[in-house]
Amino acid sequence: MDPGSISVRALTHSFGDKVALHPLDLDISPGGVIGLLGPNGSGKSTFMRLLVGLVPARAGEIHVDGLRQSGDGLEIRQRTTYAPGELHLYGELNGKDHLAFLLRGRGRAAVKRAEATATDMGLPLDKRVRGYSHGMKRQLVFAAALAPDVRVRILDEISEGLDPAKRSEVLDRIEADAASGTTVLLSSHHLGEVDRSCERLIFINAGKLIADETAASVSERAARLVRVTYPEGTDLGGAEKALGGDWLESLRVDGSDVHVLLSSDDPRGLLRAISSADALPAPIGLEHGKLSLRELYRSLYGVEGT
Amino acid sequence: MIRGLRGYALYGFGFFVVLEMMLAAAIYWWPNFMENIGGIKALAAPVPMLKELVDQVDKGGVAGYVVGQHFFKGCSTLGTAAAILFASGAVAGEAHRGTMELWLARPVSRLRLLTERYVLGLLAVALPVFATSLTVPWLLELVDQTMELPDLLRCSVHMSAFLAVVYSIAFLWSSLGSEPLRISFVMLFASILTFAIYLVETITNYSLYRIVDIKVFMEIVMENQLDWRYVAPMLALTGVLYVLSFKAFAKRVP
Repeated sequence: MDPGSISVRALTHSFGDKVALHPLDLDISPGGVIGLLGPNGSGKSTFMRLLVGLVPARAGEIHVDGLRQSGDGLEIRQRTTYAPGELHLYGELNGKDHLAFLLRGRGRAAVKRAEATATDMGLPLDKRVRGYSHGMKRQLVFAAALAPDVRVRILDEISEGLDPAKRSEVLDRIEADAASGTTVLLSSHHLGEVDRSCERLIFINAGKLIADETAASVSERAARLVRVTYPEGTDLGGAEKALGGDWLESLRVDGSDVHVLLSSDDPRGLLRAISSADALPAPIGLEHGKLSLRELYRSLYGVEGT
Repeated sequence: MIRGLRGYALYGFGFFVVLEMMLAAAIYWWPNFMENIGGIKALAAPVPMLKELVDQVDKGGVAGYVVGQHFFKGCSTLGTAAAILFASGAVAGEAHRGTMELWLARPVSRLRLLTERYVLGLLAVALPVFATSLTVPWLLELVDQTMELPDLLRCSVHMSAFLAVVYSIAFLWSSLGSEPLRISFVMLFASILTFAIYLVETITNYSLYRIVDIKVFMEIVMENQLDWRYVAPMLALTGVLYVLSFKAFAKRVP
């Protein structure tokens, strides 16, 4: 296993009878930003906690930064940073003391770097954390996660609750960190935000790996996706037959929308089929090649992001 | 929830101050007590357990009075409360306020995290018992009395072993649970009930406070040695409870 890599084999977890993660195999090469996507409760956080040993795996193997996880995962936590998605801080501590708490065992230099980052982001480190806004708390945790000199960072919903400007700043810093060779696993159910930063997208839903593809491949597929919207109440049972042809790779009906994945990026065959489909009324909307990542996953897998 | 060396030191110091104030007041009252022992015995006569306590103090002289006031009354009652309060939030407090994940996510082993918190809390309970006991000879000088320091230290070991068991029970529950207030209330209620049982003649032998009553401490003072029949099982039980706490903690997820 290479330094900076993440690899899991047949990784499984359940909470009682509820399976949180079905057997999962995954390899992440060193360097770059990898997006872990999925709706709330999809298993993203459980997967990340498993990686750093906060949750013991029921079965399977975990390697992070070239090291096999064992015991309580201490060695992996020493080689990675993990920022939890759930944001409950010690309100009685001021920002500076809280950074020192979060960075225990990381060395003085890491604490200084975190203080510099937090100050740079405008956080009042002498103020008690209970007076911080949600976004400020998120930035404090981010500053701590970015400070240690490690090869792997695991960031769960790190930009949740941030305004667009701060979100962009956080993503800029993550991209700069990844450019220096760090592997950043970034989870989000806010699919749009990872559009710009991630070179690889891993999509999990209901504890199962649904898709694992490069951002370029996703863009290419997005270019082939067409959403056709019919009037409310239209019977779309015969849509596949009416719109079918060589141009069609897959089709899915969702309410009054028909999501079509074309076999090429040329929509003319589909457009002809739409205009000549006697069984269907004239569509009231049509979108092609400009669907967001969120809409893409909804179209391809019927899974909602936010 | 108490957290960090500073937090435990502060609460431990608070416990010390309260114990010391009670001890100083009790010793200051010693001459009056001796002057009025006859009247006190008459008052206690209708309640057999109270009579037994007063008789033990009378028989033990100033040593009986000190172990009764300081160890049996002060340390065992307030100490039990302190032990429960210091332990109940140790792990459950983190779960209750949602900070467990932050606490665990750092590169520190679970064994170390738990042991640090366990030891700090235990020291916050036990050190004030020893520290206040060290001041007894000096306080007694003020009323022209004396007591041997080694006897007081042996009594402190016995008392601390008892409090360590109480602390470890609360700590184990905290390692399993998520509601520190419930742990505190239930354990405080149980300890008050156990103390109340001590005062009822027919069932007094079922009270855990028999282990730390005046008779036991006076035997330690008279024999000039620890009673290992009590101390050894209490220390062993403390160890077992700590191991169980760690096993529970090792399985906890944020």
